[in-house]
Amino acid sequence: MRSLRGALWALAGAGLAMGLAVLALIVTNDAIEVPGAWATGALAVGWGFIGVGLYAWGRRPDNRVGILMTATGFAWLLAASGFSDLPLVFTLGQVFGALFFAVVMHLLLAFPSGRLQSVGERRLVAAAYLLTTVGVFPLWLFADPSELDCADCPENVLLIDSNESLVTTLGTILNVVAVGLVGVVLVVLLRRWRRATPAQRRFLVPVYSAGVAVLLLLIVMVALQAGGLNHDALDVVWVAAMLPFGLVPYVFLFTLARARMIQSGAVGELMARLGETPRRGELRDALARALGDPALELVYWLPDDERFVDARGFPVTLPDSGAGRAVTRVERDGVCVAAIMHDGLLLEQYPGYVDAIGAAASLALENERLDAELCAKVEELRSSRQRMLSIGLEERRRLERDLHDGAQQRLVSMALNMRLARSRLRDQPDSAETLLDVAGDELEAALGELRELARGIHPAVLSDRGLDTALETLARRAPLPVELQGVPSDRLPEAVELAAYYVVAEALTNVAKYAAASRATVNVERTNGRVVVEVADDGVGGADPEDGTGLRGLADRLAVIEGRLDIDSKPGRGTKITARIPCA
Amino acid sequence: MAISVLIVDDHPSFRASARMLLECEGFEVVGEAEDGISALEAVVRLAPDVVLLDVQLPDINGFEVASRLTDNGASPAIVLTSSRDVEDLGFLAGRDGVRGFIPKSELSGPALEALL
Repeated sequence: MRSLRGALWALAGAGLAMGLAVLALIVTNDAIEVPGAWATGALAVGWGFIGVGLYAWGRRPDNRVGILMTATGFAWLLAASGFSDLPLVFTLGQVFGALFFAVVMHLLLAFPSGRLQSVGERRLVAAAYLLTTVGVFPLWLFADPSELDCADCPENVLLIDSNESLVTTLGTILNVVAVGLVGVVLVVLLRRWRRATPAQRRFLVPVYSAGVAVLLLLIVMVALQAGGLNHDALDVVWVAAMLPFGLVPYVFLFTLARARMIQSGAVGELMARLGETPRRGELRDALARALGDPALELVYWLPDDERFVDARGFPVTLPDSGAGRAVTRVERDGVCVAAIMHDGLLLEQYPGYVDAIGAAASLALENERLDAELCAKVEELRSSRQRMLSIGLEERRRLERDLHDGAQQRLVSMALNMRLARSRLRDQPDSAETLLDVAGDELEAALGELRELARGIHPAVLSDRGLDTALETLARRAPLPVELQGVPSDRLPEAVELAAYYVVAEALTNVAKYAAASRATVNVERTNGRVVVEVADDGVGGADPEDGTGLRGLADRLAVIEGRLDIDSKPGRGTKITARIPCA
Repeated sequence: MAISVLIVDDHPSFRASARMLLECEGFEVVGEAEDGISALEAVVRLAPDVVLLDVQLPDINGFEVASRLTDNGASPAIVLTSSRDVEDLGFLAGRDGVRGFIPKSELSGPALEALL
């Protein structure tokens, strides 16, 4: 950090010295008609770029915009040394006179991150640097200023052989290539502008408009030169082109200062606003205003569900960072509370600012997070209640159907057989006996079916004998070997016992129906204020809780008593169903 | 000549008991059907005097079967039967060409004759 600071001061000194040298060159050159004006222009632009560039460089060493602005300033002063009447300095200034156009292109393409975004852009910039150095150099081997409409100019120290037609041809070629490059840069910038969000545009507009004005005027100038305009008229166009260009560092400085002002002002305003308790939605609006991003969204972290939800408790998917949006997480005491979804450019534009705003709002965000969590719970309860209701209706319908098709039909046909038997009792006693036997069988079967139904409605063994015995009967009735590994023998609250019983019953039913398993294990443990029920099998796996009503209904049953169901069922790896039921 | 009956019910145990009971009491059971569509077809084929028709069938219910039989111009006497309470459905007798209603457990020859 210290060495950077030293280097920046050294560069500042170099810039100052180079500016003063340029000033001396201009003032001492008798051929310049208004030396004061030219000197002011040269220094205002050169020192402006160098000063602002070094300031930005020092503030954000990782962003190369500062470096590029500093380089632009030096390239400009180098070009301005072409004002000299000393032949060597004059020649140097002329040869490198166009270099700063390449640096400006680089700056524009790299703005605002300071980095070029693609291989194409890197090639474009490399071409510009080549053109303005290696490309221009041969021209000055043959250009004699006195032959080229500049009688007052000092001599060209590089001159080998004065050749006006060759210089004109080379110059035309260079101009055409330069205009082509500028055209491509303009297209790239236009495309970027089109993709930018309104907030991004507000940030880009000062630098882009000045830069684009310079590039457009450069094209105009080349066209006028080709049209044979005289030197004085060209000077006017040159000055017109340089006015917006010279303003770039000052506009940039203003943007930085405004950003700082906005930031500190906005954080203060936000704190004041959040001092009062914000109503629902006000927090988002306050943050959107503070960050200048009307599309800003807030999402809240639910640690239990391990997901983000919106203010109404509905699940939210965070956007990919590629879409120009960025996500900044807000923590409170090291725990994630919420996330701000905002314009990605804010991170470039005002580094650390979103974090600062998030930290300032973290208490309010935590409050809203609690609200959102409550909403999510209410929503979950609402939908599980709805499902419980329809499951209840479905169960009643099934019960009615089972009663009607089962026990009721058996009793009906028993009644008919009894009547028939009575009518035959005297005439055909054998037949009557057979009919009574049939009726007896029907009665037996009807009783069995009624018992089964009653157990489905409520397992009496559970209330009579407790969970361990009830699970034992389930295990014994299952069509495959079931090992009961551990079941607490003391009584649990009725709702917990019932939930645990249904988890095991439903799980074993599924194992028998779908798993093609050779055995299953059941384990019930009471730990840390909850009862954990595990049913595992060695079957085919691949059970999907969303598929079919059984597991879904089980999850809903558990949700009512704040329990949760986890299903681990990878294909070919068996299925393990784990229910966690709170139990004080 | 004995009165011919078609028994329509999806429970085989009821069809068997009803057939035995009605045959003992002098009716001729000419056929059985286990759902509404085959009942409609059996009526055309067998032209029974009486159709003993369960209300609850797996495809179309007994009222719908009765209504279609009447629309077709077939003229068997239709007697509905069900294991549900007579108070639930008894009032529907008389509609759609239905002669009457007998609860399943009270089915007998005399009860059937009384409705014809």
